[in-house]
Amino acid sequence: MDFRLTEEQELIRKNIREFAEKYVDPIAAEIDENSRHPAELFQKLAEGDWMGIPIPQEYGGAGADYLTHTLVVEELSRSCSSTGFTVSIHVGIACMLVNLFGTEEQKKTFLVPMARGEHLGAFVLTEPGAGTDVMAATTTAVADGNDFVINGTKTFTSNGPTGDTYMVFAWTDKAAGRKGLSAFIIPRGTVGMKAGEHFNKMGLRSSQTSEMVFKDCRVPKANLLGKEGNGLAMAMTGFDHGRVGIAAQSVGILQAALDESVRYGKERVQFGTPIARHQAISWMIADMATDLAAARYLTYAAACLKDLKQPFSKEASMAKLFAAEAAMKHTIKAVQIHGGYGYCKGAKVERLMRDAKITEIYEGTSEAQRMVISGNVLR
Amino acid sequence: MPVFVACFKWVVDEAYIRRTSAGELDLSSVGYKISDYDRNALEEAARLKESAGGSVVAVTVGIPEATKGVKDALSRGADQAIYAADPSFGTLEASGTATILAEVIRTRVGTYDLILCGEGSSDLYDQQVGIRLAALLGIPCISFVQKLDLEAGRVVAERRLEDGIERVAATLPAVVTLLPDINVPRIPGVKDTLSASRKPVVTIGREELGLPAEPRFRILSLSASRLERQCERFGSDEADLRRFAGALRQKGILR
Repeated sequence: MDFRLTEEQELIRKNIREFAEKYVDPIAAEIDENSRHPAELFQKLAEGDWMGIPIPQEYGGAGADYLTHTLVVEELSRSCSSTGFTVSIHVGIACMLVNLFGTEEQKKTFLVPMARGEHLGAFVLTEPGAGTDVMAATTTAVADGNDFVINGTKTFTSNGPTGDTYMVFAWTDKAAGRKGLSAFIIPRGTVGMKAGEHFNKMGLRSSQTSEMVFKDCRVPKANLLGKEGNGLAMAMTGFDHGRVGIAAQSVGILQAALDESVRYGKERVQFGTPIARHQAISWMIADMATDLAAARYLTYAAACLKDLKQPFSKEASMAKLFAAEAAMKHTIKAVQIHGGYGYCKGAKVERLMRDAKITEIYEGTSEAQRMVISGNVLR
Repeated sequence: MPVFVACFKWVVDEAYIRRTSAGELDLSSVGYKISDYDRNALEEAARLKESAGGSVVAVTVGIPEATKGVKDALSRGADQAIYAADPSFGTLEASGTATILAEVIRTRVGTYDLILCGEGSSDLYDQQVGIRLAALLGIPCISFVQKLDLEAGRVVAERRLEDGIERVAATLPAVVTLLPDINVPRIPGVKDTLSASRKPVVTIGREELGLPAEPRFRILSLSASRLERQCERFGSDEADLRRFAGALRQKGILR
């Protein structure tokens, strides 16, 4: 074990950092304030092959490993959490599901444009009455000739208003319980599928989130993803991958909180010395740096297990749980270090604190992660 | 087809340099990067290849740990790299670097059309390597280049000088040393970085070079520059102005 990235990973990390400083930092506050999806930025990300890193080149991706994708999500999130997350859910869940479970035809039709970054993917599972309790979902898919007909309402769909390719989960056989949920690939523009208005959120504001309404939405049977009835297992696999991404997003937020706290702590003078020299502040920074290192190693370890084709579900949950809670805890401290200035719009830490909160909620709440982890440990 | 040679140096990234409490430079945990203006040289070579065809050879002289720099250069459009590597090459002076580059280009590249260098390196900024290289190869050199074009058998360049812009031409082969205004270096994409590892690299050890001299350059000490700042406020009445003038005299600013 040598805890070193490869030269390629280091160079890719340096390049995405330069990209983020050049193209993301200048617009991050604006897209947060206006809750705007920066289509022009995602076009640039596509040009640099950043939108499908772990997908094989024959399916439009860059053909690198999952850890490299994780590093990219981290560095983008350090500049703008919404941007890092949009890449994370697009690659880590939408692209990965088609890559892992799609037919050759589905990969050619749907994965290639997604992995090239020409189409944006979305994961459509959560419902108004079914969050952590996935089994409480009510959306149905009824076979009819060569089609399935989907009816129901989904909510909190990331990339809902801006997506092109939707991974939609619905019951094909509710009576079959855990073996009754199925997944479908539905392209934008399909009759009967409609995205609602973008939600006005506390944080993660430039990531577009909406309801998705399905009313007699006809989907060809050829768009069934994986086996009928295998939806729940695929959703959990999607979450395993996605959670490594959310952990990386949290690490990026935490790194940014540390960057800002160190810079401000050295600049801001009170009682005749920079506040970073006061033990009250320097200890906050020490704790922040320590949790950052721990969160980062947990995240990279989960990504490495994935690349080694080892089970990584528990590790993904641990990384996501720890990193998300550390991001929340320390962005609050970062605002504290900045005092009144940190409470005002325009201070990056104010945005970081609002953006951190969602990492404890989506792709499985912290409570859900504890269920996964304890389930693994107590097995 | 034209052969473009882009020279680059792998240098300490100044963003990582820290200053110790004793006023010295702490280089213990620094990162490295391709020298800023050499990125412009690599970029210009790649653009020339994209418009005129041909190939780009990236050449560097450095310590054996600079393999990441070689991959970085190859991810920026070069087709192959030649890398003269030795632990002693980290502290070469400009004449030493130019001598090695000249030998490598003469013996390993052979036929070439245009050699592109950054105007100076991000660490020492001697601005000598390109000019010395041209002298050693016996070919023309155009420095301070902010724009260049290839015409039949010659290079036409705009030089930005203190008192104006000079437009000059030189027959090929030639050396040009570039200012950063000439282009905006690309940010390599993921596939560019991954494919860089598959491009050919020729590594040459010190023993394979007919080098004459021991290093003539030694670092005796390295310390951080200090900028002393003081702030004293004065009013605007006569007594204050006298005090102000007195303070300036005391500091030797007024005599």
